[in-house]
Amino acid sequence: MAEAAAGPVVTGPATDPAIELRNCSYSYDDSIPALQCVSCSIEAGSWVALVGENGSGKSTLARLCNGLLRPREGQVLIKGEDIRGRPVGEVAREVGFLFQNPDHQLFAPTVREEIEFDLRNLGFPRQEIAERTEEALAIFGLSLCADRPPAVLGYGLRRQVTLASVLARRPSILILDEPTTGLDWGSTALLMDHVGEQHAAGCTVLLITHDMRLVAERASSVLLLHEGRLVAAGSTRELFAQPELLERASISPPPITRLSQRLRPAGMRGDSLTVEAFAREFEALLPESGDNE
Amino acid sequence: MSARFNPYVPRKTWLHELDPRTKMAFVGASFVLLLPANHLTLVLGYLAGVHVLLWQARIPGRRISWLWRQMAPVSLLILLLWPLSNPGGTPVLIDWWRIQITLPGVTQGLLAALRVNGLAFAVFTLLLTTDQSALVQGLVRLGLPFEWGLTLAIGLRYLPLLRGMYGGIVDAQRARGWTPEQEGLVRRLRAYGPTLVALVIGALRLTDTLTFALAARGFRPGEPRTTHRPLRLRAIDWVCLVGLGLLTGGLLIFEVGWR
Repeated sequence: MAEAAAGPVVTGPATDPAIELRNCSYSYDDSIPALQCVSCSIEAGSWVALVGENGSGKSTLARLCNGLLRPREGQVLIKGEDIRGRPVGEVAREVGFLFQNPDHQLFAPTVREEIEFDLRNLGFPRQEIAERTEEALAIFGLSLCADRPPAVLGYGLRRQVTLASVLARRPSILILDEPTTGLDWGSTALLMDHVGEQHAAGCTVLLITHDMRLVAERASSVLLLHEGRLVAAGSTRELFAQPELLERASISPPPITRLSQRLRPAGMRGDSLTVEAFAREFEALLPESGDNE
Repeated sequence: MSARFNPYVPRKTWLHELDPRTKMAFVGASFVLLLPANHLTLVLGYLAGVHVLLWQARIPGRRISWLWRQMAPVSLLILLLWPLSNPGGTPVLIDWWRIQITLPGVTQGLLAALRVNGLAFAVFTLLLTTDQSALVQGLVRLGLPFEWGLTLAIGLRYLPLLRGMYGGIVDAQRARGWTPEQEGLVRRLRAYGPTLVALVIGALRLTDTLTFALAARGFRPGEPRTTHRPLRLRAIDWVCLVGLGLLTGGLLIFEVGWR
């Protein structure tokens, strides 16, 4: 895994890029730059995690990708097209964005209307809005609370409503800004399973998170930001094999990967990303039960 | 400054070190002086004096120009409407159809606009040189109930937070294809519903959390309070207060005598 400097970095399978940043820089209020000369290319259909310490520029980069922020320098291309000058509402047809705080999004008197809001904004026909809304309600198990105000639902359900409203648009690119913050394990798994289904259907996923277990389990590639610069890009396995780089960016691999690395003297490869992968490798190292007898 | 909600500029100047009550007295005296002021020279002199004070307090020029810019629409409105609604006097500058604009009307409009700016600068001299806790403490010492003062302090502190929350809400709705700028004026106003409802819900959640947090930290309304830095009128405050009284009284006599 090469440390990223100024040149473009390709992640994911070798197909057309869904998102491409070319030498993008951004600063808020002309103060310290939030992003400096970031170049990367995210291939269509890939699941990429965007990681880095607080204030490293992750959310800024994500907001550049849907046009909420415009780079001071450089270009942002979505499916090969420069989005400079394109309104956010138009980019929203391609890019679904899930914000960290669901309460920033929820306002409608019912869950159903909340989901319909995105579709109405994008000008879908009435019949299609109704069909897609009912489908989203069913998929996310929200049919029973479809006529309740989303604001009074529990946090986990509010999160599901926000994802349902984004996915009802069927965007080809999905950006998730720390979607699992504050969620229990069950809600996290449910949310990620819904995202996984979209990914399996060809959706490109860019996931911002501090949860390295989630990164290890779900993402095939990682972009690592540190102090506004892209310092590494490549496969998840390669990133977790670079302890010095991770430490510099205040990131620690998931416990199972660290355990695997600690057991290298015992013959482990040290690159297990999940408990299942670790267990398979560990069992293979164990002597046959017959030998013990 | 771009609509920042805490205009305080921390500095170590004599104006910053003054007791907030002295600066409140200055605001009060400014109102007493400016509201009846009927002479352009007096109002211009007042504005020049306030700018000298702000320069002494080392307030950056961009903050001062920001306030002028904020006041510009109101000033312009007064400048336009005053001569139209007060067409008396001579010489007549414009006489067309039913519209008559005279020089006294224009002068009075200019005076009213400068007066409003003077009042704004008086309040901002207080806000630019007094931190929020001292401001609230000063009000409490002047008789405002502590709970009201605390509410005001929390309100002031939470304004930037609410502003940030509103920014987040607007971003979230834009990312969903919400484009109010493409609508006409009436529909655009209605289109702001989603952001305002989300803001109210967010603010209510915040209030709820804050109430629990205050209770969890032992706050009980009605309990006698102490302060970390009690306010004290020093010699310089008394000098300023006496000087302010004399100056205001003298200028009022001058104003009445001039008439």
